[in-house]
Amino acid sequence: MMEGQGKRTKRTAIEALSFEARLSYKVEVTDKDGRVVQYEEGPSHSYVRQWNEILHLQAAAIYIGGGGTVKMTDGSTESNAYYSVRSFASNAGIGIDRSGLRVGKDSTPVSINDYALGAPIAQGTSLDQLEHQLTYFTAPSVAGPVLSFTMQRSFVNHSGATISGIREIGNYIEFTGSMLGRVALGFRDVLGSSFNIPDGGAITVTYTLKVIV
Amino acid sequence: MKRGLWYKVVVRDHDGKVLSRENRRSRSMLGNWYRILYAHMAATSTSLIRTDGIDRGVINFGDNWKFVAAANEDYMGVVIGTGVAPVTIDDYKLESQIMQGTGSGQMRHLASTPGWPSVAGSNCDFLTSRTFLNNSGGSITVRESGIYCRVKGTTYYGYACIVRDVLATPLDVPDGGSITIDYTLRITA
Repeated sequence: MMEGQGKRTKRTAIEALSFEARLSYKVEVTDKDGRVVQYEEGPSHSYVRQWNEILHLQAAAIYIGGGGTVKMTDGSTESNAYYSVRSFASNAGIGIDRSGLRVGKDSTPVSINDYALGAPIAQGTSLDQLEHQLTYFTAPSVAGPVLSFTMQRSFVNHSGATISGIREIGNYIEFTGSMLGRVALGFRDVLGSSFNIPDGGAITVTYTLKVIV
Repeated sequence: MKRGLWYKVVVRDHDGKVLSRENRRSRSMLGNWYRILYAHMAATSTSLIRTDGIDRGVINFGDNWKFVAAANEDYMGVVIGTGVAPVTIDDYKLESQIMQGTGSGQMRHLASTPGWPSVAGSNCDFLTSRTFLNNSGGSITVRESGIYCRVKGTTYYGYACIVRDVLATPLDVPDGGSITIDYTLRITA
């Protein structure tokens, strides 16, 4: 068993209790036989500015030429962003690593100005690559004063070797600018421990979006 | 988790003198906010009860979440009311909305334009504000506030209540006076 594996970690959620709109995550690594070898859950700390900027496009109905500005995951800035059917879309398909949930290796603390994961893992089966599965959702459900839904994605390691040092997770969300299919970082979290994915194994990231009245 | 909604309420008399203020964290982002978010993130549809009380659902669509409102529009943007019923996750309208006008119990709704998000330090704030003028000839007591936005289902456009708060203290707006509601959605990294 590799260092750090076999641990089940639950990060402190005290500060989350004082907010009504909560985002939390769960990360699980399984080996090739499906056994859970590493696990962590905790409150997310990390919506970033693009989340509010895209919400503003919708709320203010910013139209083409309205000056909507959003920084994209490639570091360039879209200065003709506008409200759209694709705002916040995260339903990335199999093999798609430009949007949806992502994992990476950077452990730099989250900043409000983050625009991408620091060192995202690319799609593939080569060294240090992961096969990106579908990002899928559960429908909203209400239980008492709580409404929640989840989004989840698995990443399978067929690289031929262990991929070690996974430290960050996040969500790449779509929006519309001068071209369809622009992508921005919506939220990012740095994990409490380093995750190692054995060859043939997988890492699964689940975010729960919850509101409580 | 570093995301929250705050509101600030200021009541002024006919000379602009501040009579009362309330500044609190909103506890009342409603289920409908997240139903719209789900429809967009998952590029799908889900159920949603509109302000008319009918479930016509919501699909991902460009106009969703629009709450910029022109003057006199009382069906969209920041809204106020006189209701005191505790907030529930499935609230779909204010309990008793104060409508546009100058009749008894009515207020004039000014335009409501969401501001551009601003970053200061580790915060990113998104502010929307609206002022209501009381030219009804009598005092009006405001007890609730919220936000109505545009939504689209598979067939129909409509409006959804996405935020509702019951004020900690009922606020009397005198004839000739005004009440201003600021909602700020803050993200902190």
